[in-house]
Amino acid sequence: MTILIGYVPTPSGDAAVEHGLAEAARTGEDVVILNSPRRRSTVDAHLVGDDVEATLLARAAEHGVTAAIDHADHGADVVDTFEALVERTGARLIVIGLRRRSPVGKLVMGSDAQRILLHASVPVLAVKPTS
Amino acid sequence: MSDQRDDRAATGTDPGEPDILAELEAEIARELAEERPPAGGPAYQVVGALVALALGLGGAILAYGYGLGSLREPGPGLWPFIVSVVLVGLSVALLIVGRHLTDSEAFTRSSLQPAVGLLTFVGLGALMPLIGFEIPSVLLCAIWLRFLGGESWRSTAVISVATTAAFYILFIILLRTPLPHLF
Amino acid sequence: MDVNAFLDGFVLVTEPQNLLYCLIGVLIGMLIGVLPGLGPAATIAILLPITYGIDPVSAIIMLAGIYYGAQYGGTITSVLLRLPGEASSVVTVFDGFALAKQGKAGTALGIAAIGSFVGATISIVGLTLLAPIVAEVALDFGPPEYAALALLGVLLVATIGSGNMLKALIAATLGLLLATVGRDTFSGAGRYTFSSLELADGIDFVIIAMGLFGVGEILYNLEARHGKVHVPAAVANIWPSRKDLRQSSGAIGRGSVIGFFLGVLPGGGAVLASLAAYAAEKRRAKNPERFGRGAIEGVAAPESANNAAATSSFIPLLTLGIPANATMGMLFGALLILGITPGPQLVEERPDVFWGVINSMYIGNIMLLILSIPLVGLFVRILRIRPAILAPITALITILGVYTINNSVFDIFVMIVFGLVGYLMKKSGFEPGPLVLAFVLGSLVEASARRSMLIFDGDPTGFVTRPISGALIAILVVVALLPLIKKLRRLRTSVATEATPTKEEEKTR
Repeated sequence: MTILIGYVPTPSGDAAVEHGLAEAARTGEDVVILNSPRRRSTVDAHLVGDDVEATLLARAAEHGVTAAIDHADHGADVVDTFEALVERTGARLIVIGLRRRSPVGKLVMGSDAQRILLHASVPVLAVKPTS
Repeated sequence: MSDQRDDRAATGTDPGEPDILAELEAEIARELAEERPPAGGPAYQVVGALVALALGLGGAILAYGYGLGSLREPGPGLWPFIVSVVLVGLSVALLIVGRHLTDSEAFTRSSLQPAVGLLTFVGLGALMPLIGFEIPSVLLCAIWLRFLGGESWRSTAVISVATTAAFYILFIILLRTPLPHLF
Repeated sequence: MDVNAFLDGFVLVTEPQNLLYCLIGVLIGMLIGVLPGLGPAATIAILLPITYGIDPVSAIIMLAGIYYGAQYGGTITSVLLRLPGEASSVVTVFDGFALAKQGKAGTALGIAAIGSFVGATISIVGLTLLAPIVAEVALDFGPPEYAALALLGVLLVATIGSGNMLKALIAATLGLLLATVGRDTFSGAGRYTFSSLELADGIDFVIIAMGLFGVGEILYNLEARHGKVHVPAAVANIWPSRKDLRQSSGAIGRGSVIGFFLGVLPGGGAVLASLAAYAAEKRRAKNPERFGRGAIEGVAAPESANNAAATSSFIPLLTLGIPANATMGMLFGALLILGITPGPQLVEERPDVFWGVINSMYIGNIMLLILSIPLVGLFVRILRIRPAILAPITALITILGVYTINNSVFDIFVMIVFGLVGYLMKKSGFEPGPLVLAFVLGSLVEASARRSMLIFDGDPTGFVTRPISGALIAILVVVALLPLIKKLRRLRTSVATEATPTKEEEKTR
């Protein structure tokens, strides 16, 4: 089985990777790391380059976990991208990082994490960065 | 990118000597072509040439009607007539030699986007004198953001209203231009 | 050269208002150079309504700043994202991005900024020295010379500029035809007005420009397929080393000279200059395989060239009143709006405009040199804004802007029509640039030609017998026939060397 980790280059994303890899190591599963840029952007701060990818794969190797990195882009709703990947890989768990968002912030800017939590078809493990 | 370079044939003046400039042009054309629809076929070239031809003929006929006068005393129609005749000549030349050019772009599904954009322009122009610029502007922004841009409803709403408000402040309050406005 | 007028120009430029407009212009220029989509010509077109409200010198300083500022901005995305922001920065991608991948993005950007500055400055000095001389020679020009010169300018833009030559000529001819719409100044008769009151005064240049370049470009960009998302290369080291500077000094010098000459040529301009400089550098290099893999000369040469060309392309405009490319055509129109007629008399009649613009370029380039590196980070952040968000903003600026010119909704619709025309032209491979240029020169050509006929008493051979206009006509004929001659030569050589397989031979006959 597979664990799907949603990664962005932030403390929350790093926390998600750590917990996801730990879980995968525990149960002997492999991992797919989804680093999804926003479609139709010229530059997306969330998209990582080859160097960061290499670091992630090295971290996975340290835990003894096979990992693959996917860069499927997403449109207005990131849930679709997660769902498509869940279907394709047969993932049984999604791991994402949370960050503090005020109610007003969530109202105006939206919260991808909240949408994934509410609409994902598999269990979601939401972790917060270890401060 | 504003300039689109066409796929010009490499102009090697001596066969065998690699023309660096032409190589570069070809490579650049390939890079730019990635994000555009594929090249159109000969039909596009023919239509383009025919349109030019029609304009030239129309111009020439009308110019003749305005009176050509003489070379000594040129009438109002002389210059437009000469220009139109040149246009006709060039269009015919294009018709003959232009069939195999690859510098046109095909109309594809993505061509609907500029079509919608065009319609929103017309809509804004038509509605503005009737109900002011605010509402049509919000609508235009909303259509562009949501349907042409794939933004979420939330960001569409926020950006549309914010942009229109900013333009309101700029044009009505700061610059005091007589733009028809409702509020 | 009138040294006093030159110095007065500096006094004018250093007025706080003009400094501010210069700064605004170069910042906007850098911004649109960075952002894919709009180019300097389109931006100037969209901002033309602003010129109605501000002082002529300030307006031209700002608009000029947009043009050469864009040459700096386009480099940033070329180096960091492998995505040329401007057509004139496409060549910089090859070696610039290679350097960025080697962790030397700062070197590339630094050399590009220095090269741009040097190229522009050399060009401005050339402009300062050459422009008054050309203007003085041109004062002897009479109507026949103007007619021939304007036609030559249009022809050169069509032949040398980008796009298929035949189509560019057709576009130019159409521009000449559109210029005749309205009341004929000589006879008072209406031409192509179709009983419309609005058309009786002719088509407003601003409307055509905003339509063809502004709306047309916006519509065309809407159709772009989703490109890939880019990861910007990190800018670690900021300054190039002394070795880099030494290595690129030759390239910068050569690029500047190439750019200067190609910029003056109508139809040449920054794009052609950057290509030619890169090719020249590669040809003369001892190991040309370095190029495309991070050769610093591959960044220095085109960047110097494009800035030098952007600056020198002002010469034909300011001295002869002939725009050398589409952007200069925009500035020509802007000057007309401001009530200033570009031509050789400009240096005498409006030295404030003449020297104000030229001297503002010294200051503008200094501003750009200082600002371009620190602002790189900011521009990369700005690139995170999705183009889909900027598009409706640009659209609204254009439509609301055109309304403010005459408070006329008719103008909006004419602009939309020309926007559609511009879009269709780009789709079918016709460049809108030659059309606008020919439109802008159209009335000049016709008026000069008709006046010439009056002088010659109806005898067209007068054009050829006058020395200057005769020479211009001769150049005209040569330029017009050049492509035919080239084709004939190719035919002959291909027949003679049947054994050698020719590589390209896209037979268009």
